[in-house]
Amino acid sequence: MIDLKYRIALTATLMYLLLASGGKSFSAEPVDFQRDVAPILHRHCLSCHNDRIRRGGLSLHSAQAADKGGESGSSIDPGDPSASYLLDLITPTDGTAEMPRDAPPLSENEIATIRRWIKAGASWPADFEIQPPVLWSLQPLQRPSVPQDIATAEQFPIRNPIDAFVAARHKLNGVKPAPQADRRTLIRRLYFDLVGLPPTPDVVEAFVSDEDPRAYERLVDDLLASPHFGERWGRYWLDLARYADSDGYLGDSIRQHAWVYREWVIDAINQDLPFNQFSIEQLAGDLLEKPTVSQKIATGFHRNTLSNTEAGVDLELYRTKEIVDRVNTTGMVWLGLTFGCAECHDHKHDPVSQKEFYQLYAFFNNANDATVTVKNQWEVTEYEQAREKWQPAYDELQTRLKEYELADLKPEQKTERDKILNGFKKASDLKRLAPFYQTKKAGWDKVNTQLGKLLETKPTPPATKAPVFTERTKDRRDTFIHVRGIYNRPGEQVKPGTPFVLPDLSSRDQTPDRLDLAQWLFQDSNPLTPRVAVNRIWQHLFGRGLVATPNDFGTKGEAPTHPLLLDWLAAEYKQRDWSRKAMIRLIVMSSTYRMSSAANASSNPRDINNLLLWRQNSFRLEAEIVRDIHLAACGLLDRTIGRRGIRPPLPAFVTDVGRSVKWPASQGSERYRRGMYIVFKRTVPYPMLMTFDAPDATVSCSRRERSNTPLQALTLLNGPMFFESAQALGRQMDEQYPDDFPAAVQTMYLRCLSRPVSEREQEFLSAAYADLLQLAETKTKDATQTDNPRLTAMVQVARIIMNLDEFITRD
Amino acid sequence: MLPPSLNNEMNPLATLNRRRFFATGASGLGTVALAALMKDNGLLAGEVPQQLAHIAPRAKRCIYLFMEGGPSQMDLFDPKPKLNELDGQPMPESLLKDIKFAFIQKEAARLMGSPRTFKRYGECGMELSDLLPHLSTCVDDIALIRSMHCEQFNHLPGQLMMLSGSDLQGRPTLGSWLNYGLGSESQNLPGYVVLATLGRGLPGGASSWSSGFLPSQYAGTLFRNQGSPVLNLANPPEISEAAQMRSLQTINELNGLRFDQIGNPEIASRIKAYELAFRMQQTAPELLDLSGETKATLEEYGVTREEASKSNESGFQGSYARNCLLARRMVERGVRFVTLFLSTWDHHSSLDSGLNRYTKISDQPIAALLKDLKRRGLLDETLVVWGGEFGRTPLGENRANFKTVTGRDHHPYSFSMWLAGGGIKGGQVIGETDEIGWGVTKDPVHVHDLHATILHLFGLDHEKLTYRFQGRDFRLTDVSGNVVERLLA
Repeated sequence: MIDLKYRIALTATLMYLLLASGGKSFSAEPVDFQRDVAPILHRHCLSCHNDRIRRGGLSLHSAQAADKGGESGSSIDPGDPSASYLLDLITPTDGTAEMPRDAPPLSENEIATIRRWIKAGASWPADFEIQPPVLWSLQPLQRPSVPQDIATAEQFPIRNPIDAFVAARHKLNGVKPAPQADRRTLIRRLYFDLVGLPPTPDVVEAFVSDEDPRAYERLVDDLLASPHFGERWGRYWLDLARYADSDGYLGDSIRQHAWVYREWVIDAINQDLPFNQFSIEQLAGDLLEKPTVSQKIATGFHRNTLSNTEAGVDLELYRTKEIVDRVNTTGMVWLGLTFGCAECHDHKHDPVSQKEFYQLYAFFNNANDATVTVKNQWEVTEYEQAREKWQPAYDELQTRLKEYELADLKPEQKTERDKILNGFKKASDLKRLAPFYQTKKAGWDKVNTQLGKLLETKPTPPATKAPVFTERTKDRRDTFIHVRGIYNRPGEQVKPGTPFVLPDLSSRDQTPDRLDLAQWLFQDSNPLTPRVAVNRIWQHLFGRGLVATPNDFGTKGEAPTHPLLLDWLAAEYKQRDWSRKAMIRLIVMSSTYRMSSAANASSNPRDINNLLLWRQNSFRLEAEIVRDIHLAACGLLDRTIGRRGIRPPLPAFVTDVGRSVKWPASQGSERYRRGMYIVFKRTVPYPMLMTFDAPDATVSCSRRERSNTPLQALTLLNGPMFFESAQALGRQMDEQYPDDFPAAVQTMYLRCLSRPVSEREQEFLSAAYADLLQLAETKTKDATQTDNPRLTAMVQVARIIMNLDEFITRD
Repeated sequence: MLPPSLNNEMNPLATLNRRRFFATGASGLGTVALAALMKDNGLLAGEVPQQLAHIAPRAKRCIYLFMEGGPSQMDLFDPKPKLNELDGQPMPESLLKDIKFAFIQKEAARLMGSPRTFKRYGECGMELSDLLPHLSTCVDDIALIRSMHCEQFNHLPGQLMMLSGSDLQGRPTLGSWLNYGLGSESQNLPGYVVLATLGRGLPGGASSWSSGFLPSQYAGTLFRNQGSPVLNLANPPEISEAAQMRSLQTINELNGLRFDQIGNPEIASRIKAYELAFRMQQTAPELLDLSGETKATLEEYGVTREEASKSNESGFQGSYARNCLLARRMVERGVRFVTLFLSTWDHHSSLDSGLNRYTKISDQPIAALLKDLKRRGLLDETLVVWGGEFGRTPLGENRANFKTVTGRDHHPYSFSMWLAGGGIKGGQVIGETDEIGWGVTKDPVHVHDLHATILHLFGLDHEKLTYRFQGRDFRLTDVSGNVVERLLA
């Protein structure tokens, strides 16, 4: 790869030349190729017409290549501009030119320069090569120095380097930062961002009156240590992992034990498993030396891919689709590159060829689907308890069975009978008991039926098998380019490898494997992984990434709003040994994070979209959290972490649209577990989650939509779980404050909104309560008559408060 | 005392001055948020017309009659006398090469003729099977395509292809693309509604009306045809309409206070969403109330038909008729896209009785729908599409565990669909298949071509209607598709 380094040096020289020539205008002096022409080609042509990507067969990187021309023949006719096709292409008519495609045309000066150069003989030094522009995200990661001497505004103290970078931009653009948010908003923000639950009124009041200067910091540390932290940040990761509890497609069978991976994610994040280790285990935990069960479970990441099990499908076709998804997901999640575009042809915009796509594909082509047995103590306990509950009835039945036993059973017959009883699988097995009992004796049928029922409900010992990867050792598959993306049209054979534009991969063995790939993502020279990873952390804490397209750091993605800050954070992430918690702590401790999110907190009319971060952003909470805060505020929430998923009740017409969907509603407090535990069946996704923009788990999702629709309003007003929450809260208030409505409202505000109610609000609600009370006392056709109008009215007031925008918004 | 608004027929929510939010909020609004606010969230009609139409539109609404499972074209639309002659013969080997079947065992497979009789109907003389007596009276309004083709020979990939232009889950369906491109015309109903008459569920479940990577407001909304039409539309039993109105009033008052205080535009959006939700609560149930329909209409559709005789099928026939009538009522009220699923035409065995049953369920109501739309002057701007995800094989299905051969396997290489209204030139047949109905011999129409044509009818250029996702500009038609000019009136 000496070649590459040499080219980079050349590029640097060229960049220098480019800068040096900047500002020079058209003049009559002779055209110098290196000084005048190369920068123009570099800027406008080279990203599509370079040595590697020869769009239209043309490259303009060297004299030789330019001389050769492209599919349409030669483009430069030395000495004759009017015969040079290149000039036709770049000369605009009515403001648009054929080339550069999808970009503004060259300036008049630039075109004139090229014309003069061609006229003068189009001389191009033989050893001079032009490199394509290097995408910002691929440039080496260097730690930028922190801006110094930033005058500290009173309301925006520089608490850490983040603030210095942000303040520097404020100053440069004349933007006024918003003041710090009040303490109630801050604690609520931290709770939502770090654990996804609302703070209780006690905690809020304690924080508001805490005079310790480290109060905020202590709060942050408490929340980072909370076991709910792993749930909140785990769910973000599950979006990327396209986690679901079913296969997808027509079969859409339930993946009984997919939750083991979910639990792994929650635990790993709670333990702050460094992001590099966290990633390596998920991509290649099975290839680590003596992998632990946990490291094997981690490889469940890529087992979340959809799989088509419809009868009669072409299995090889869908196997290749799974691998394509794994390549795409890996690219987006760790590198912020959309490799998917290169499945069928060279990437149109980013420097990834089709061959390179299949080199990545080769890493995954020999990963076999497998399972690993998982033992959880809670499952054993659960089983033992269920068994204890079941056993007495069974023992009792055994004594009754004795009455029917044939007289002279031999010991081996008894053994055989017990074998049938213990090995019971289905009702017809009972028929095999006939040789041992007096089946004609009165009452046998009843006993027999009872036996069947009991055996069917006999608890089974846990046998949890998590889906994982194992590397295929026998009959290893070779990988070929799929011509035009068609899986059964093999082209050139390829070996596992990484894209040319990224640093070289060093492998442990001759042929690199998944583990090498995973480690390569984190090698020091890889600029993408830390940038992409830290951008996502930022995104979750500000509602928008420094790069707004978190899975696309390519040419079509958005450029960073704060490139230096992004690089500083990326470098910091590496330096802090990829500790997610350390980075979150760093960011939430900043003044930038603590600003008010009110749109009118400061006035910066030229930046109404807040790209310069003059305030925090305010946004609607995610689908699962919307559910969680309702259950938390009314006290119904079951806070069990991890484990199997739940099925809150659903009307049949929703589940009937899928094929043979079984949706036995969860019983007891399980129904009130957090939204992230709702069984996600891909063909029948839980409607409330979809209405609030949860991803459909078909492909990796790095940024959820945030829509605001009437169906959301209907869900919050009338959805059974939401109404149940209002009822629970209303009932408590009615019991607690039978004669003090204002106190009830005050308590509900503190529980739902973490702040006291204002006078105006109190007035509105009192008026509403009076009317609702009167309505509840009046008979109507369209509602069931209540025998407790006061309670009914209170429930409706609770429902009003729980339907406020503020309740489901993270300010 | 009740507030005056409650004694007033007027919607109390109108007391909230919405202009206020546009007037005072504007300076603090982000452009993106403002656009979202102005656009009425996509679910219901926008106050600002969408500006994406590229071509003069012919169709404004679409009723898509989706025949899940793959109806048999040679028993319904594409007569094959030669196939009948060759009944029981093996198929030419050249045709079988490189062909994949879901279930047929190639070597032993034999051609299977059709017991149906075909006749010419209408001025155009279109040939249809005796299973479609009602549709045969509408042939001059429909354009029959006998040369549809595709590559997907399994249900869900085929259905996703037909519904979303891709065999993969996670792409937006046609109805989502149209609502994304054109917005909704209805002030109080969703722009994309789904009704389903299901034997057994749909292979794709809710992915059959997914908005894929488009924002969720463009997803189809599943309607029930009885009771409360939309999930969570009805108030909890103890809450009367008056109480609901009173509660909404306060919700919006309090949201309004908050908006005044901090100026975040999402709050204004939320206020509006609650107003629209309430309008939907008031109007959607009316949609299902057929008491205003004449007896003649109900009879024409077959809503009052006797139910099927088999006990497990009760309600099935009336249900599809009802859905067809509801489809008309929806397009009348400005719903942009209605999909009616009928499941399932997947007749691997018992093809004759199966087709009998499914045409009995659907033939009469569909013909009634076409005639009713026409009488009311709605057909001109309402595109009606009929079709499944693929057709069926000329070969009888000899699946390994079948004792007798009584059905046909999946066949995407040639099948039939029809379109009517909305700028379609009726009374014509497009395309031909070979003598046994294996492959297309004239004017092939790929699914992408069909989609390009449908978008064209709505004034949209299928190459320009794109959405950026994962670094790529996605289209309904992927990278191909040509408008079938002959279909256009």
